Amino acid sequence: MFECKDVAEEASNYLDGDLPLGKRVGLFLHLVYCSCCRRYLQQIRQTISTVNILRPQEQHDTDTQALAEKLRMLSKTES
Amino acid sequence: MKKVASLNQLDEKALIDKLIEGDAAAFEFVVDRYHSIMLSVARAIIGEAFADEVVQDAWVSAIKALPRFEGRASLKTWLLQITSNGAKTRLRRESRQLSLDDGWQAEPDYKFDQRGHRIDDVLPWNIDTPDALLENEQLRQVIETTYQKLPPQQRAVLTMADMEGLEMKEICNILDISASNARVLLHRARTALHHSIEKYQES
Repeated sequence: MFECKDVAEEASNYLDGDLPLGKRVGLFLHLVYCSCCRRYLQQIRQTISTVNILRPQEQHDTDTQALAEKLRMLSKTES
Repeated sequence: MKKVASLNQLDEKALIDKLIEGDAAAFEFVVDRYHSIMLSVARAIIGEAFADEVVQDAWVSAIKALPRFEGRASLKTWLLQITSNGAKTRLRRESRQLSLDDGWQAEPDYKFDQRGHRIDDVLPWNIDTPDALLENEQLRQVIETTYQKLPPQQRAVLTMADMEGLEMKEICNILDISASNARVLLHRARTALHHSIEKYQES
């Protein structure tokens, strides 16, 4: 039997289609009667879409413009 | 800005031609577009200390090899592979099979009863579409801060899977980890972000 705790553990695998058939069916049946878990999965989905749109970046101190120029100069000497 | 937008629409072959020609805007575009994700991969493999250096070296190797780029993989995957190879060389040989059996839980135990049922409701979010989430400046900050605080391996998998759309197989290859490790890292990263949004909505 799938319980809420299992849904919390397997949410990503379920959404990404990486769950074996037996577990997928078990989780799906749990969702039929559990509105909490339906909401939870929906929120994980929204989290993924939000990150996809927001595209947070690594923190770094590199001056990317200077790096681009350095690489351009390098490519000139290479060619 | 307009220049970058138009470069965005170029196909990869044309972009590479521009790089080979030495087009300054093209160089700025690719560095701007790929530097962060290359850093993400390097940090995931060798940690913070050498990541910057590995990425700088990867850029230099990539630019030197560019005229021989055959386009079998996308430019992004190619750059990440060069970064990954550099990081792994730096690290020398080491088993990358991570031990993930560390008691991590998607949700803490106290949220469930003995049978694994949730004790409290999962509350609906007041702000409940990605667009609305992003319109809220404070919440954007919360998400960015949470992202930056994720362990480097989680951040790298999340970046490649959910932001860059790489296949799991490619991600495992780049980070040299198993598919099950990658899936666990991805779920932990998503869960951490979900928690931060949930906490914000409740406050």
